[in-house]
Parts: sequence; structure tokens; C-alpha cells
Amino acid sequence: MQPTLEQKMWMYEKMVVSRRYEEAIAAAYMEGKSPVFNMANGPVPGEMHLSNGQEPCAVGVCAHLKDEDTVTATHRPHHQAIAKGVDLKRMTSEIFGKANGLGGGRGGHMHLFDDDVNFACSGIIGQGLGPAVGAALSQTMQKKSGIAVAYIGEGAANQGAFHESLNLAAVWNLPVVFIIEDNSWGISVSKQKSTAVEKNSVRAAGYGMPGEYVAGNDPLEIFKVAGEAIERARAGKGPTLLELQTSRLAGHFIGDAEGYRPEGEKDALEADDPITKFRSHLIEQGDATEQEIENIETAAQAQVDEAIAHARASEDPAPEDALTSVFA
Amino acid sequence: MSIDVIIPDDLWEEDNEGVITSWLVSDGATVEVGTLVAEVMVEKIQCEVESPAAGTIKITKEEDDVVNKGDVIAHIEA
Amino acid sequence: MSDTKERKLTIARAMAESVAQYMRKDEKVFVMGEDIGVLGGVYGNTRGLIEEFGEERIRDTPISETAFMGAAVGAAQNGMRPIVELMFVDFFGVCFDQIYNNMAKNIYFSGGNVKVPMVLMTSTGGGYSDGGQHSQCVYGTFAHLPGMKVVAPSNAYDAKGLMNAAIREDSPVVYMYHKGLQGMGWLGTERGATVNTPEEYYEVEIGKASVVREGTDVSIVSLGMGVHHALKAAAELEESGVSAEVVDLRSLVPLDRDTIRASVAKTGRLIVVDEDYHSFGVSGEVIASVVEHDISVLKAAPQRVAFPDVPIPYAKIMEQFCLPNADKIVATYKKMAA
Repeated sequence: MQPTLEQKMWMYEKMVVSRRYEEAIAAAYMEGKSPVFNMANGPVPGEMHLSNGQEPCAVGVCAHLKDEDTVTATHRPHHQAIAKGVDLKRMTSEIFGKANGLGGGRGGHMHLFDDDVNFACSGIIGQGLGPAVGAALSQTMQKKSGIAVAYIGEGAANQGAFHESLNLAAVWNLPVVFIIEDNSWGISVSKQKSTAVEKNSVRAAGYGMPGEYVAGNDPLEIFKVAGEAIERARAGKGPTLLELQTSRLAGHFIGDAEGYRPEGEKDALEADDPITKFRSHLIEQGDATEQEIENIETAAQAQVDEAIAHARASEDPAPEDALTSVFA
Repeated sequence: MSIDVIIPDDLWEEDNEGVITSWLVSDGATVEVGTLVAEVMVEKIQCEVESPAAGTIKITKEEDDVVNKGDVIAHIEA
Repeated sequence: MSDTKERKLTIARAMAESVAQYMRKDEKVFVMGEDIGVLGGVYGNTRGLIEEFGEERIRDTPISETAFMGAAVGAAQNGMRPIVELMFVDFFGVCFDQIYNNMAKNIYFSGGNVKVPMVLMTSTGGGYSDGGQHSQCVYGTFAHLPGMKVVAPSNAYDAKGLMNAAIREDSPVVYMYHKGLQGMGWLGTERGATVNTPEEYYEVEIGKASVVREGTDVSIVSLGMGVHHALKAAAELEESGVSAEVVDLRSLVPLDRDTIRASVAKTGRLIVVDEDYHSFGVSGEVIASVVEHDISVLKAAPQRVAFPDVPIPYAKIMEQFCLPNADKIVATYKKMAA
């Protein structure tokens, strides 16, 4: 399965928007945090988990999705949200804790919910798996055509929820695609130290579903393999497990000193940036001219700047708004 | 004799500022060579400052004070 | 809280020192949890341990809380003394079956034949805008369920003494430390938590509260971060001539009801400060301990300054609106005394 030119350019654009977005968020996050790095300070407080380097996993999968399809994302959700089509302004307002944010400032960066495009994320490892199975069940029971994608990190494949959810989706033959973003680190603990198998994709066999490992952090390869899995789901052939090799170019969160990384690893990852590689590919293949690429990049930056400016200019919630929205 | 407790040049890599987050001795405490006396945070990393001498410590920089490499943060009266 | 001219420790260092000293003398003690090895614990409380004791006794786990919590229970029943870390108490949802159905009940089910000598250390608390799955205290949730001792230190002296007592204890102890008191600057620094802490071994008895400030007009009872709010409120009240007593519970299970009752019998007024949710929790239990014992000592209806019954909001302005603080305590007293 190959992307059309339009799909390729869409993927590049979303990857660039995502990267520029993380850069802008990182800059805003550091405001008010120097020289005292106190997480509580600045316009964007709390923990901040950036997705730099993981963009191919978002676009290669979401290129196949429609609004009715559900995505459950992780604590590192920005790239997935952008690729799923979450409203960037409302998302940014949420991250800045503003009243017009997706959750009116109640959720924050780990709890982005956009009902318009069926996107949700959560802060604890493996939490989105069950809800993705449930979204697929709901679509099936209502005889609707949507499918569900559950994103997790490779560390989550050692959670009970992973195994239980795969089994449940398989035994009920539900249209779910389980996507593992393998950035090889669960905070400071390597995949090698935490995981009994080299590739989590082999675990699919235990639940009678296809499983595949996609190396290279390449959006085109991910597009192909994810496309086949999503096609299977749409055709009623049940769930698939995909593990995508990727790279965490930022730390676990902003401020992570990453002393646990082997020397040279970070430099090697940065030298192998998927956006740079995809950009070269597009030009070499004649998919786009340098000028066309630059236009995409300029537009991406403008879109990000606009979202950040929107969030900054938006109103704070009233303090007592904290007490509302507990119940429907 | 008074010996300065100085933020060492190699306490952290970059040339940015740090902040004293905790004094681990009270002002006027008796310290030995190598006694851990303070924690300095640089970005999100905590660095340890040790006493260069034995004696009584006289603290000159407070918690939350911004410090640079080479700054004197206390004196040790031998 | 001693003010001698001696060594001071942050709570993070006090916890690590207690564990290291205990491990040196008892080879059955070991530590496991997420990022407690090379990283030294996200909150610094296992810093230096892997360098001294190695990977055999300082075990980074996969993100598999059910498995390693259950493994701690099994190892404890089998002769070891595990210290297991749950990185955020909010993560208890993943593994609570092992905690409250196994860890907390196996001694009882066995008629006391089985021991479960383990420490479950876990971080609590918010105030730094980390959202509703990384900021909770849930003290009451743990304290409500029988079979677990529960402690929550407010300063480094108690942190070390309670950790020593917890490791020596043959029953499971849930050791709840507040992130904002750890002395990790990036979570804010509460100076009052970094106090004189002796190097030699000592214990703080589990189940004994501490009167950290004496007073005659009102008893402010709290734990963890709330103790520091209470002390600030007491200092403020003193300026208007009000003498506030501050009781640091230190332990929730067993709860030192005698100390609470004695304090309220003296002052006649009770304010409970709790960062946990308002209803069905610690604050209600403390008040009940007084009113079911002797209502005649009360000069005013007891009050609580607790987190409202809503999930913890992310936005700073909303979270701070919900959290207890010194101003709220002072205002509460003024209403009571009016």
C-alpha cells in the first residue's frame, strides 16, 4: 500500500507542524522556570512530555483514519493529536490552562479530549487500551463503520492491561489496531532491561492476531503496514498488533538529564531525524520542490504560532470553575 | 583562618546559573572536609556542594539564592 | 523538629539514608520499583543505592505494577523484607488488588501465621499543576482498608524514623511521602521539611502523632504538607493574639486518637487540614474521633480545610483554588471564633 502524493504531503506537513509545535511548547514551558526550575511556574506548568522524533508513528497511522475512528493516546500525545486532527487552538489553550481549552483547563497536556474527532489521551501507562477496545465494540454493536487505534509505548506492553485488552479484542473479533511506539526507553529503564522479548510484536501470537515490527521510523513504511492492519479491521477481520521503532529525541519530560542513556545514543538519534530524512526523500523522488517544502514549513510555523498566540490571549478559567463538570 | 566554600567550576557542565535548594547543615554547624553542605539545582539536576575544610560553617547565601560557578556561599572558620 | 546546629537532610535524603543503613545490616531488605536504580528515584529517595548495593538488591522493574506489587507480597511472605515503590500513588489503580486484597489481608487470613514485612513507599500530592492522575493524596483510601499501617511524614527527622520503623515492622506499611516536601527544587521546596536528622539509627513509633506547636485556642490537626500550612497559619494567628496548637498525625493507621482528643480537650476547637478529598476521608475520621468520644469539650463545630470533592484540575488557578493553604485555615478559624 503506497500513499498518494497528496497523502505524502499531508504526512510531511503534519510531521512538521508537530515538531514546530513541540519546539514552541518547549519554549513556552521554560518561561518562568529559570534559574529556578520549579515545575509549578510559568505559563505551562506540570510535567511536559514531548514527542520529537515520534512523528512518523502518528502520521503513518492517522493518514488512514476518519473522524469517526477513535484514537486513544498516551501521556506523550501531541503528535498523535495533531495527526488525528484535534483542534490545535483548543488543544493549546488546554495546555496553557485556559477557559477555552478542550477541557476548560481541567485536563492539561496529558488529558486532551476532542470529541469531534474521537481523540482521547491519558496519563497512566496502558490506560487507553481498554477504552479503544470499547470504542470498537460500540461501533460494532451500533453497526457503524468506525475502528479504534490504541497507541502505547513499548513499556506498556508489560502491563496487564495490554495482555487483557489484546485478548478481549481478539476473542470478540473487534476492529482495533494496537500501535506500540517503541522508543526503547520507559523513562530511564531500557526495553532490553524491562521486556522479555526483543520485539513485542511477537506477543500478538499469544492472542491469535497478526503482529508486525516496523523498523526504521519511516512514515512510508508505517503507512503501508498500518494501512493493511486498518483495512483488516474495517473488513471485520479483527485486531492487529504493530510495533513501530521510533526515537525519543527529547527526554522523558522536559528537564530530564538523561544520564541513563549510553554515550553517543542521543547524537546518533538526532543525526537520524525522521523529518530530515523524509524531507530529502520527497525532494529526491521529485514529490515536491525545495520551494514547495519551504512553503509547507512556513505554513506549519504560522499555524503553530497562531495556536500559541491564541492560547496566550485567551481568558483564564474562573477559580470556582474547578467545581463544575464533575458530573454530566 | 577562614576558608571559602565556593561553587566548583566543574559542578555542572554548562555556564548557566544554579539555585541553592537546600542547606544540609545549620549555620554554625561543625563540619569536616567533604561534609555535604548544600544542594544546588541547575535546571532540573541537583548538584552537591561539599565542605573544603574542617571547622565551623558560616553561611552567606540563603536557600533560593541564585548562584554561579565560583561564587562563595559560605565560610569555614577553622 | 530540632533546631540544633547539626546536620540537616531533605526528606529524599533521609529516606535514602534510612534504607541504605538498614540494607547494610539486614541482607533481606531490598528495593524495587520504577526508575529507582540508575535514576535514583524520580523524587530522589533511592539516590545512591544502586551504586552501593547493585542491581541484585536495587531492582528497576518493568512498568508492571501488579506483578511487582504481588512479587513484593510474595517475597515478604517468603522471608525477605521488600521495599517497593509506587512512583505516584495515583497509580494504585493499576495494582490495588495486590495491595488491599493480598498485602493487607494475608496476615489475617492466615490467623497471624504469615507475616508480610514490606514497605510500600509512594509519592502523594499536587500543587504543581500535574493534573488529575499525578497529584492526588488518597490518604483516606488506604487508611480506610484494614490491614495496612499508613504513615505520612512532614519532615526529614520523621521521614527517617518512620522508614526505620516501617522496615522493621512485620506488617505491611504504606509510606506516603509528599512530593512538595522532598527537597527536590523542581517540585518546589518547603524549607520546614528539611530539618536536623541524626546519622545514627532511631525510630519514630508508628501510630504516634506529634504536637509540633503548642497552643490553647484551637487545634489544627494535619499531616504531610498540611502541617506546614498549619504552622504558617498558626504563626499568622499568633499575630492576632490567637494561640494555635498544631498536631502532626504522622501516622494514619494506627491513628493516635488520644493525642487528638487531648489537644482538642485543651483548646476546644478543631480544624483538620487535609490535601485529600473532603468527604469520606481523614478529616471526617479525625473529627469523629473527637465527637464520638466527648462532645462537651467543643466550643465550636469542628471544621475542615480539605480538597473539594472534584478531580484535581490542571490549570494553576483552579488547582490553587482547591488546595488547602494557610489563608484558608486562618479564615476558617475566624469564622469559628466569631
